[in-house]
Amino acid sequence: MDTQFLVSLSIILATFGLYIGIAVFNTAKQTSDFYVASRGVPPIFNGMAIGADWMSAASFIGLAGTIMLLGYDGLAYIMGWTGGYLLLTFLLAPQLRKYGRYTVPEFIGDRYNSHTARVIAAISTIIISFTYSIGQLSGSGVVIGRLFEIDAKLGTMIGVVLIATYAAFGGMKGITWTQVAQYIILIIAYLIPVIFMSLQLTNSALPWLSYGELVGKMGELDRELGISEYFAPFTNGTKWQFLALMFTLMAGTAGLPHVIVRFYTVSTMKAARWSGAWALLFIGLLYLSAPAYAAFSRFILMTKVAGSKITELPAWTKSWVDTGKLQVADGNGDGVLQWSELIISNDIVVMATPEIANLGVFVIGLVAAGAMAAALSTAGGLMIAISSAFAHDIYYRVMKPNATEKTRLNVARISIVVATVLAGLVALNPPGAITQIVAWAFALASGTFFPALILGVWWKRSNSQGVIAGLLVGLAVTLGYIFAAKYGGFTILGIIDTGAGVFGATAAILANVIVSLATPAPSQKIQEEVLDLRYPEQMTYKNGEVWMNDDATKA
Amino acid sequence: MKKIDKSVADAYFREKTRNMIIYFIIWFLVSFGVVMIAEPLSEISIGGFPFHYFMGAQGAIVTFIILLFVNAKLSDGIDMKYGIDEEKNVRLSEGKSLDH
Repeated sequence: MDTQFLVSLSIILATFGLYIGIAVFNTAKQTSDFYVASRGVPPIFNGMAIGADWMSAASFIGLAGTIMLLGYDGLAYIMGWTGGYLLLTFLLAPQLRKYGRYTVPEFIGDRYNSHTARVIAAISTIIISFTYSIGQLSGSGVVIGRLFEIDAKLGTMIGVVLIATYAAFGGMKGITWTQVAQYIILIIAYLIPVIFMSLQLTNSALPWLSYGELVGKMGELDRELGISEYFAPFTNGTKWQFLALMFTLMAGTAGLPHVIVRFYTVSTMKAARWSGAWALLFIGLLYLSAPAYAAFSRFILMTKVAGSKITELPAWTKSWVDTGKLQVADGNGDGVLQWSELIISNDIVVMATPEIANLGVFVIGLVAAGAMAAALSTAGGLMIAISSAFAHDIYYRVMKPNATEKTRLNVARISIVVATVLAGLVALNPPGAITQIVAWAFALASGTFFPALILGVWWKRSNSQGVIAGLLVGLAVTLGYIFAAKYGGFTILGIIDTGAGVFGATAAILANVIVSLATPAPSQKIQEEVLDLRYPEQMTYKNGEVWMNDDATKA
Repeated sequence: MKKIDKSVADAYFREKTRNMIIYFIIWFLVSFGVVMIAEPLSEISIGGFPFHYFMGAQGAIVTFIILLFVNAKLSDGIDMKYGIDEEKNVRLSEGKSLDH
């Protein structure tokens, strides 16, 4: 037991204690003070909760490492994961809030008046959230693996038990405040090492302003080594791949069921707009810092680690080599570790850098706790999306409409445990880096929900046949392209698996529009409900006329 | 409930749609637009960064955040202009969705 282990473990346990404490406190408060709780959370705190739901192991653990290894090309993730909030907040969130349903499949089922569409949407939710959770489990494996200095595979198994317990027994309600706490922990844990490194390397406490000069310097170092410059565009893929990936991540953001559901919990359309704005501000804090984190890490590795004698490597290398995610091999046998002989996985950069930069046991422990907060909060949201798609949309709404609440809750819990264990099995041999796995989830969301929701909200003529065709075609094209590109080497314009969403979304929109136009229009009532989404809550569209509800009585 | 002229409601929708189109044009230019001409932009330098890198790592994100806040604020103004009262919206939406 070294000091590091004890410090990291205590910080992780202390933060877990905090989350559980808040959850218990809120559950008690909700039953006694029901109406206060039901008035909704202020947008600023809802923004933080969305931030915690949103920023997963991919953002926290994987992102900086991906940027470090891909250079400029990695910035597609930064712009994609933030720019999607405009699509979501302008085109979908307020409108879906006015329509008012419990889950995304429920919106699709009711808007298109089709059980088939509901079931396909529920299955898509399960596939997307499942893929996404593989990334989370793989991330928790990295953290736990480092903590106990064991293989990341064993770490993943421990993560499965933790996440299944957390999601199955944590409540479905009253989680907002826990997520606010998780956001605060994870953002502090991310910013402290970046600020410390900035002080070490540039003598400035504002990394966002100071890392520019390092980016320039690294370009010079790269030229000396004869490799392409860190900031040179499109060195790891074509320009089309960059654009396709960015589109996929943006459209996927607007179509992820577990994120959209967060906007159902705000009080009004106005609150949805403000929540979206606050959410991106809080998320932006991490996303603006990730490229700085990447630049500092790469600079330290290039100048302080590469070039040292292979026999004199610092202690941190051993613990990371043990996790199987770092390789230091003296390829040319000259006794010195060259930059090209250091092979570091995307997924450990954020976790390993505080150790490399010698930031002290406390900071290292804090980063571990932040990473666990990111993985847990998102995994929690994902598991709730999976269990509600199965227990609510498939089991209750289609299979057994007279099931009791208790049976439904049990079905929900069983589906959480089954989904976590299955995702854990896949995560034992992760099919890609965390950011890459998560990008597939985004590709699937942009090929299925993004077109179905956009057309559902903005085009009254879209009907049930159209959406069924759209969902199926979108799912098939996206999945097909991911597999063909990853395993079959098939690409169009150099667009690889992570950019598959651009084809999925295009195919789905075409299918939806063509089939809708070839079949009868939806009922008058549905078309009016769609037009009604143009206006604020107080205006109601009925029989071609608009009514203003001034006394706020429900129609 | 009182009936209002459909043209008033349409004006509300048009004003919001027009703003949204402006936001999306800016959104497209700072992200997709900059990426499309990344190579020539890399010659320009800002705060030590090549310009294309700066936009990808910071400029685009800050623009997105500003656009979202501008939208939230201007939409509130439009709501007020058409006599929408948020208190009444809250009452109308209660119970229409799950309260977490």
